[in-house]
Order: sequence, then C-alpha cells, then structure tokens
Amino acid sequence: MNVLVTYPERCVGCRICEQWCSWKHEGQVNPTKSRIRVHRVHSKYLNIPVTCMQCAKSPCIAACREGALRKDSATGAVIVDEEKCIGCRRCVRACPYGAVAIDKDKRIVLICDLCGGEPQCVAHCREGAIEYVSLAVADRGHRAAYVETVVATMAAETKDGIKATGEGGCQ
Amino acid sequence: MALKGLAGKILRVNLTSGSITKEPTPDDVFAGYIGARGVGAYLLLKELKAHTDPLGPDNKLIFLTGPVEGTLAPGANKITVTFRSPLTGTYSFSLCGGHLAPEVKFAGYDGIIIEGRADRPVYLWIDDDRVSLKDASHLWGKLTHATEDAIRAELKDDAIRVACIGPAGEKLSRFACIQSDYHREFGRGGAGAVMGAKNLKAIAVRGTGSVEVADPEALEALTEKVYGILAANLKARARRYYGTPEMVDGTNGLGYWGTRNFSTGYFEEGHNINAANMKEKIFVGSMSCYACPIACGKVSLIRSGPYAGTMIEGPEFESTGLLGANCGVSDLEALVKVVEICDIYGLDTMSAGAVASLAMECYEKGIITKEDTGGLELNFGNGEALVALMEKIARREGIGDLFAEGAKRAAEKLGVPELAMQVKGQEFATYEPRGCKGMGLGYAISPKGAHHMIAPTMGPETAGDGSKRFEYKGKAALVRETQFLMAVVDSLSLCSSMRFALGLKEQVELYRAVTGLSLDETGALSLGEKITNLERLFNLREGFDRKDDYLPSRMLKEKMPTGPSQGHLVELDPMLDEYYDLMGWDRQGRPTAAKLAELGLAELWQEVK
Ligand code: SF4
Repeated sequence: MNVLVTYPERCVGCRICEQWCSWKHEGQVNPTKSRIRVHRVHSKYLNIPVTCMQCAKSPCIAACREGALRKDSATGAVIVDEEKCIGCRRCVRACPYGAVAIDKDKRIVLICDLCGGEPQCVAHCREGAIEYVSLAVADRGHRAAYVETVVATMAAETKDGIKATGEGGCQ
Repeated sequence: MALKGLAGKILRVNLTSGSITKEPTPDDVFAGYIGARGVGAYLLLKELKAHTDPLGPDNKLIFLTGPVEGTLAPGANKITVTFRSPLTGTYSFSLCGGHLAPEVKFAGYDGIIIEGRADRPVYLWIDDDRVSLKDASHLWGKLTHATEDAIRAELKDDAIRVACIGPAGEKLSRFACIQSDYHREFGRGGAGAVMGAKNLKAIAVRGTGSVEVADPEALEALTEKVYGILAANLKARARRYYGTPEMVDGTNGLGYWGTRNFSTGYFEEGHNINAANMKEKIFVGSMSCYACPIACGKVSLIRSGPYAGTMIEGPEFESTGLLGANCGVSDLEALVKVVEICDIYGLDTMSAGAVASLAMECYEKGIITKEDTGGLELNFGNGEALVALMEKIARREGIGDLFAEGAKRAAEKLGVPELAMQVKGQEFATYEPRGCKGMGLGYAISPKGAHHMIAPTMGPETAGDGSKRFEYKGKAALVRETQFLMAVVDSLSLCSSMRFALGLKEQVELYRAVTGLSLDETGALSLGEKITNLERLFNLREGFDRKDDYLPSRMLKEKMPTGPSQGHLVELDPMLDEYYDLMGWDRQGRPTAAKLAELGLAELWQEVK
C-alpha cells in the first residue's frame, strides 16, 4: 500500500497540484474544491502542501456518525459516501492535519481519494514536493535525518577530543 | 453571449460616492481586444476624459484579468492595471503576477474599475459577491507586508490575497507601486501613487468559484504539452534554477547592461551580483506565482553583516541591474537590503534604481553636495549610501523628497535634464540602448515610456555572434512584430516567461480551447496591432507624438565609452522613420486615417478625440 508524503521545503507554492486535483475530480479549476491545499506562510516565505496522510487509524472515520467514511481496501484512501455524508464537519475537526474540507456547493466533505491509486498532484508537481510511496519506504527519510543528526553529533564530539565511547563522561 | 473562460462580471467601485456596482463583462470588447491589457487600453481611452489629472479623482485604476486565467492554463497569473500615469502623463499599464489574478476571477470578476476618491483611507474587501469598503485609517502609514498581514488577521483568513500600497504610495511618490503577495507588484508608472491619491490603501480578495472553459480536453492536452516543453527548454531551465538574474552574465557580457547611470553598458564587477554568486551566497528557496511550472522567484537571505536577517523574494534581474550595476553597486547584501526597502515602502525597484543612479551622478559631478544629501557620500558603488538614500526617498525625507518625483522631474529641478535616463518621464529599464539598438527603439516608441517589455527584442538581437545588436536597419520591423506579440501575451495575461514554450501558435490554441472563439495567428497579430494603435491614440490625445519618442542625448551623441559595445550610438531617427512607415503612421508618429480605418478604429477615435 502506498501513502502520500509531502516535502514542504521543496514546495514553491505554484498550486499546480490544487489545479489538477479539482480539474480531475470536479471538471473545473477551483482551489476550494481541491483535496490538497497549499498554504502560504507569507512572512516566512514558506509554502506548505496540506493533504490526507492516510492515517492507519483514521480519526475522520472514527468521528463520522453517519458511517459515510470508509477505507478503500486496495488503496487505503478514505472514501466518502456522498449519499450518507451530511456535511456536519465532524471529520474536518477530527483531522489532525487540516486535510479535510467541505464542498460548499455539494455540502459534503472532500477527502483525498488518491485518485484511485494515481494521484494527480504527485503526477504534476515538478518540484517533487509530494511523493506517493509504499509504506515500507515512506518513513525512511525521517530515519535518515535522525541518523544524520547522530553522525553530526559524533563527529563534533570527536573533534572536541571527547571520545564518542562515553569514556570520561560523568564524574 | 457569455464568453467561456470569463467570470462574466466587472466590479465598479466609486470611492467618492461609495457606490459599488457589478456590470456584465462586455463580451464584445473582450472578443475584440482579447483581455487585460487590450481591454484596459480600450476602456481607459473610452472612459477617461482628455487631460485628466493623474492624481485627481477622475483618474481610474482599471484592473483586468485575461480570458485564460483561473483555468488550467500554465503561467496564467498576471493581472493588469491600466491608468494615466502620474510619472509620465501617458497611458500606462502595469502587470502583477503572484496569486491575485486567479483569486479575482474565482471571486467572480474579470476586472475591477476604481474611480473617484474616498474622503478617508479605505480598503476594498471582495468576498465573492459580497463587496464592501472598509475603514483603513488604522492601516495608513503601514508598510506593505505589515498591511497584508494586518488585513489577513482582521478578516481572519490567511488565504486572502491582498494588493496594497505602502507609505510611498500614500505620499504620492510618482514611482510608487502596488504590492501584492509580499513581492509581486504592479511596478511601473506609479499606479501606487494613483491608489494613494484615491485614499485606497488596499484591495483584499477571497474567491471560491470557478470559470467554465469551452474545450476541456484540448486545454488539458495543451497544458501537458507546455509542461513538457518547459521542462526541456534550456532558457526556462536556467530561469527555474537561477531566477531572472540568469540574464546578468549574458547582458553584461555583451556590454548592454546599463552601468553608472547609463554612462556605459558594461559593469566590471558584474560577477559579484550575477546569478551564480546569488545562488551560492544568498538564495535559500523558490517561490512561484500561480500555476507556474518555472517558479523563477528566488528567496534570498542575508546571513551576516549589517543587514543580517533580511529576507526577500528577489532580487530580480531588473532590480539587480538598476539598483546594482546602474548605481555601480556590487555589494550583494546592500542590494538585497535596498530591494527590501522598495518592497515594504512600495516603490518600483526599477525607477528607484534609475533615480538613485541619477542622484549619484549628480553627486559625483558636484550638482548636489554632501550638504544636500544630509551627509551621505553618494558616490557610485557606495552600497551603504544607496540604502540610506532609498530610505529617504521612500519617506520623502530631505533630498529624498526631490527624487521621489522621478528622474525627469528631479533632473529638471537640478538643472540637468539631460542626466535623467528616461523616455516620456519613465526611467529606462536595465538594457543599455547603445549596446542593443532595437531595445533603444523599443524604449522610444513605448506608449508608457522607456519600458523593456513593450518590444523585448534582445533575444533575436543578440542571437548568433551578437553583432546584430549594433545594426539599426531592420530593427523597426523587429520591434513592430515583437510589439504585437507582446500585446497578445499581455492581453491573454500570461507571464511573459511562458513564451519559452508558448509561441503565438500555442497561445492562439490556448485562447480557442478556453473561449471557444475562433482566432488564428494572423488574427491575433492584427489584434496586437489594434491594441498598439489604441495605446498610441490615447497618448496622441494627450499631446504626445514624435517629439516625445526620443532617447536622452547621451544615447544619441556620446559613444559608449567602454566594454564590448564600445563606440556605439543609437541611430534613432532613421529607425523611427522606418518604424512609423511600417506602422502606417505619419512621420510625426500619428496613425493615418487609412490605418485607423483598416483597423476599425476610426469611429472610436472620432468619438473620443
Ligand atoms: S505542485 Fe508541488 S510545488 Fe506546486 S504547490 Fe503543489 S506541492 Fe507545491
């Protein structure tokens, strides 16, 4: 199973992902109907793509009282049953990432459905700011970043003449 | 008929009476003039009485989008403002990228026409179809970034797009810009002063709708194709990697980079402020305008020294040239700082640089002294003094008050009009006309004064061994054609960088896919010609003709002293003659009756004359 991974540090804020998301789903370009939203933090010159993380225990599904949400067994995407959704926004509030939005015309929620396994945002982002990778590799980046910190710390300690073995530590 | 691609309404706001009305978008005008720049030229000529005071209540700010924005179209993100310029007195327009244009369209409008003058500071709040004027007394005096932040906080929505003026616009600096999204701006011509004169601090927009397109499949296919071309195109890749400063080395290397108030075209210290050095020393990330696959905006951070912590988007190539080379300044950190000052006070960085370089030349020549400058040693190359001078200009303090009037007025007051590098009062862009003669002609005939994007001919002029740039014969034809092409791209509201992938053929395809109207390349070019003539008519009515199509004498009489373009002058008169002939204008630069009839403009001209 694959999940979406975003790299805010790579995002430039072009919102091409938003365009294609609403285009493919709704046949129109409309950022408020996109299931991915790019938030610009102007004062810090940052752009942060916000979308569904495909949580293992989806708080949105748990929060829904109408049984309108379920997980697609093939893709792991959260699927909205348009008949059952009453637009109460409990899932919106339950989502820790702000990834759920409401379609103001249809009055039901918009959640990333992974485009059935071919996410269009990923396909069109030129910056590599969104990837669609298997669960097995999704978190490698974090592991690698952690390892880098350890390596840097160890290198610094060696430079300072303190052995990395811990010898002479506390007295 | 409701044209596809359009939102269908134009918002008209009268600040004097406070009336806000929504008018149906004039489809026939859009069909006849494409959109944005073309429609703006038409509306300004039609709605503005002759000799309207640019800073009086009767001047208008006509903001317009183009037909392809808010669709899938790549790089469709420019919004145009058309107005009579307080800097030049001519017709003027200015384009702003960022995310404002699609937001206006999503809110349901193809444009916003601002007229009148509010009796106290206000800002316009467009929340889809709910539109209101809000008190802005508490925002008056605020810097642009702080204004944007305050409005977003006040309206409790971080995603709102804001266009605003800073203190420079409030104080009617004649080259004040309107700033949006922190760094994108309606730069040239002083639109910020017009906004300031109207007591309009900002326009804030939230749009949640969409527009319909005629042929979605064709649009999708074309968009994918353009992404592909842009990914492969070398020029687009350079711009993506380095931002617009990618042009520094090429321009300086051929010696047509305005240096030290255009006393020459080659900056010996250019390598300090070129793209490679910026990339290495200050760039920390990229920022993109809406829907753009290039993302040329580069974020710069100064890490140490007196300006440590300064963070901007930029510097762009034009700012680098005019505030850098043209001021003889190669100090990258000072350059970033001075761009920041322009951004937050709301000054056009290009005019700012040209004005500062004039001040520096005057200082070196003893026309102004240390006493006048309040102690600043304004020699070329003094980055620290440049920063201090810009603060004075931005606040109209001391000598800054004089220079806030623009180069032409300041030089006239100082008794040295020939030292202002300008046409019709609009300061030069960064290209040195003696080193690239078509650009010189382009500056001269530009309806809004010395502007480089009316006919950016530098590409073909410098192709091959680069020697073509010195020829003056044949330049008129090149300028003419480029001018029509630009009128089309500006009216579509595409970023001019999209021309790397979208030639006229693709632009026409895009237009057809979105609007469903039939238009071919010949038709598009003749619309470009029509728009160009319309702009000429506005200026004609204000009394501008051949006598105003001139470059400063330095370009015409003093040979370029140094660099690869050494020894050259601009042979302007023969180029002008040839250009007017090709345009079907008389030798005074007036469209002939036959030409106007051919373009279908005779009746309109009769009516507005
Ligand atoms: S397409 Fe990529 S770079 Fe562009 S806004 Fe989306 S995530 Fe960011």
